[in-house]
Amino acid sequence: MKVLKALVVMLVLGMAMAAYGADKPVKVGFVYVSPIGDAGWSYAHDLGRQAVAEMDGVTTSYVEAVAEGPDSERVILNMARKGYDLIFATSFGYMDPMLKVAKQFPKTSFMHCSGFKKADNMGNYFGRMYQARYLSGIVAGAMTKTNTLGYVAAFPIPEVIRGINAFTLGAQSVNPDVTVRVVWTKTWYDPATEKEAAKSLLDVGADVIAQHQDSPGPQEAAQEKGVYSIGYNSDMASFAPKAHLTAPVWNWAPYYAKVVDSVRKDNFKAESVWPGLADGIVDLAPFGPMVPEELQAKVNGVKADIAEGKKKVFAGPIKDQKGTLKLADNTAATDNELLGMTWFVEGVVGTTE
Amino acid sequence: MNFEITVLLLAAAVQSGTPILYATLGEILTEKSGVLNLGVEGVMILGALVGFLASKVTGSPLAGLLAAGAVGCVAAAVHGLVCLVFQGNQVVSGLALTILGTGVANYIGTGYVGQLAPGFAPYPMPVLSQLPVVGTIFFNHDPLVYLSYFIPVVLFLFFSRTHHGLNIRAVGENPAAASAAGLNVAVYRWFGIIGGGFFMGLGGAYLSLAYTHLWTTNLTAGRGWIAVALVIFAFWKPGRAVFGAYLFGGIMALQLRLQASGTQLPSSILLMLPYALTIVVLVLSSWKKGTSDEPAALGVNVEPAD
Amino acid sequence: MMLRMRIVKRQEPLGMWGSCLVLISALVLAVMLSGLLLWIGGTSPGGGIAALFQGAFGSRWALEDSVVKAIPIFLCSLGVAVAFRLKVWNIGAEGQFALGAVGATWVALSFPEWPKPLLIPAMIVMAMAGGGLWGFIPALLRQKLRTNEIIVTLMLNYIAILVLDYLVYGAWKDPASFGFPMTRAFSDQAVVGKIGSTNINWGLLHCVVLGAGVWAFFRFTRLGFDLKASGDNVKAAKYAGMPYDYLVMLVMIMSGALAGWAGFLEASATVNRLQPSIMVGYGYTAIVVAWLARLNPLSIGIGSILLAGLRVGVENLQLDLQVPAAFGGILEGLILLTVLAGGLFTHYRIEQRKNP
Repeated sequence: MKVLKALVVMLVLGMAMAAYGADKPVKVGFVYVSPIGDAGWSYAHDLGRQAVAEMDGVTTSYVEAVAEGPDSERVILNMARKGYDLIFATSFGYMDPMLKVAKQFPKTSFMHCSGFKKADNMGNYFGRMYQARYLSGIVAGAMTKTNTLGYVAAFPIPEVIRGINAFTLGAQSVNPDVTVRVVWTKTWYDPATEKEAAKSLLDVGADVIAQHQDSPGPQEAAQEKGVYSIGYNSDMASFAPKAHLTAPVWNWAPYYAKVVDSVRKDNFKAESVWPGLADGIVDLAPFGPMVPEELQAKVNGVKADIAEGKKKVFAGPIKDQKGTLKLADNTAATDNELLGMTWFVEGVVGTTE
Repeated sequence: MNFEITVLLLAAAVQSGTPILYATLGEILTEKSGVLNLGVEGVMILGALVGFLASKVTGSPLAGLLAAGAVGCVAAAVHGLVCLVFQGNQVVSGLALTILGTGVANYIGTGYVGQLAPGFAPYPMPVLSQLPVVGTIFFNHDPLVYLSYFIPVVLFLFFSRTHHGLNIRAVGENPAAASAAGLNVAVYRWFGIIGGGFFMGLGGAYLSLAYTHLWTTNLTAGRGWIAVALVIFAFWKPGRAVFGAYLFGGIMALQLRLQASGTQLPSSILLMLPYALTIVVLVLSSWKKGTSDEPAALGVNVEPAD
Repeated sequence: MMLRMRIVKRQEPLGMWGSCLVLISALVLAVMLSGLLLWIGGTSPGGGIAALFQGAFGSRWALEDSVVKAIPIFLCSLGVAVAFRLKVWNIGAEGQFALGAVGATWVALSFPEWPKPLLIPAMIVMAMAGGGLWGFIPALLRQKLRTNEIIVTLMLNYIAILVLDYLVYGAWKDPASFGFPMTRAFSDQAVVGKIGSTNINWGLLHCVVLGAGVWAFFRFTRLGFDLKASGDNVKAAKYAGMPYDYLVMLVMIMSGALAGWAGFLEASATVNRLQPSIMVGYGYTAIVVAWLARLNPLSIGIGSILLAGLRVGVENLQLDLQVPAAFGGILEGLILLTVLAGGLFTHYRIEQRKNP
């Protein structure tokens, strides 16, 4: 019996070692647009990097606060020259620079986040954050008493606009009278200005504050006023325990591990992938205690429907702010339409400029 | 925009002007002694980080505030060392201090992002906060805002009524004459630099201990530069600094509220307002031939005597 | 008996070799201090500094990258130096750079089909006009309404960046950019190309010509001489009947035009389009460089390459040793402060003083 056990253990170990033995050591580089100390977008990617760094035979490094344009091309180029096997670039503006470098280094694998251009050795990826935004919109729409929701947002780029629209549609699905007011801060991290923006929304009657920023400034404003808030990026409950309803959050680690593994096994494919709730790359943070059980159940139900593909967030009829029909009945937005979204849906108060 | 929202806007003007006000007053104190310190941004961000860390470690926001003031003094003393002892150019030294301070704060602070520290909570003033309009605008804030009400008064009295205050102005106006009259120019300039650094540190701490209770990279977001500009705007007068800081904070708060109430103007245009109006107001007041208190020897080093 | 130091003025300023020695000592001190910081942070100081210099100047690529980055810093700094000659404190190079890029982009987007020999000069002219306008406004306000130019140029920096934002988020947005804030890529005729097989663009040549031009202007022309004289002594210049108001406006337009030229090169040669991320603070770096170089064009060139190299090298330090990006700021700040403090020894020496 003991012998058998030992044999099994050895067999398993041997298989495991064989599996690892087949894998080559991999150097993975990440390029971030902001300092990882921003607690937001780059921080979330860096959590993914740290998870990948735990894998056997994988070494990682990163360069932070890299401006889009010539600086990013230089950084990506230097990573390729230094023999990095796989490079992740995590901002839209890195697309063209990365493409240039990818053509010079055919043996290196490149992955670009949030863009659309590809090469034989360069893929692109993003997460369907708007699905989680939609769910958070349901929560906000059900919890508001004034039917006014506030949204503190950084820059009017498609990713942010798409999130605002999805949030609005989610809120309207449970509360047709709801309006979403948007304030642009034109900064990713300036907690004081973000908090002030949230206060300006509270002053005009908003009683749930959502945000697309890299700091929990807006959450603090909501808590001080005694109303609710929806976080972003990561679970922000600790910053405003009484206000925090939930938050749409990123979880890059499993996806990054998958790509790194494919490079390790020499079967990297330059794909365009856009995973969502189904793959766990985006999710909702745990609900706050003030969210009623029925609402939680309802949201989880919609989550399951979206994950299974039974429900599309952007499905017609959808009108824009002026009332023009943008998506006809029974049609769903294509991925390219979503990627290039520059208009607000009906019910949003604000401009996209 | 109705009356109630306007009152809230004015209250927001006071709060968002407060960190800038602290820094502006600090810079006025420094410049009155004849030293230009362009390192406000760097001193502020060090104050913000150290205030945050000290409050986190000790659990006392007051300790954080004092630590922020102390680190402000130390950071400004670097400027003093370069300019007063080594006769370095004040403009370059200040710019270097901004670069260095921002670098050090972000370097040390990386590990503390996304954490909370105990800070100053809003404390409505008994009785005063119940006053109509004025109560909401001025007396419904955190204690650091109330503290900032006293500093301009103290500085005004210091510069106009006290022996040392008059001396410091003499040193800023004409160091050679002040020296001939028996004043120790270096000591007064050191006082101006270190005292100014203290207030700049407090301004930084306002951002991490009162306005918000958190630390992130680049927390000060250029407010130190606004303070440098407001000193000129204020004609080096503490009273006008209050006006300038609240005006700037107010227009910033106004453009956010215009957006919140659904204006159709593009946000880029709205964000220009604080900067454009600062120029306009400055032009109007220079036109009217306002009396500036600019120290005549500002930015000029005093050569060591043999 | 107590030993005390005292500072004594030198009979003559330190010669070139002495100055070099002081400069090198200052750099060594700054590097040692930042090495100490690395050591505290758990990184090998020797390896760190080596990685930094390797990344900045240690290979052909590194050197090329540093030169490319130095080009906009040099032109902005040259512009700043022109204004500083007249003691006009132009800290608006950042905004003038932005407006220059906007002016050049307007031409590039409006007339993409023009032949290169026509299009590039037209872009340069509009870039200089944009930057020059942004220099002219504070000069006009300063001379006519006695408005302080420091505050106006600083505020105009913020406004210029928002003007750029407004255009690329609005009217100039590339329809194929999926809504991202960037203009269409420039046509080939609108792009300043690279020199041979290097990564360096022909902007380097522009720098050499403009640098030499500015130097010759102050040295050989009557106007240049008047400017220098007015800068040295405003009252005397006015008394001598020099058109001081006119001179101030002229230098500010020149100053802005040079920064605008830098904006043109950044948009045309390195990004090939206009996007908000071209604003990375070259205009502020330029002020530091101009001061350290004592407004001398050749020294400005050296200073630009040093600071550009530092920024490029820090990326290598991050990549190899995962030192936070903020370390670059620390090193830059320390270098500036030590070099500045070292300047004392050019004009003074330190003696021991015996107490009686």
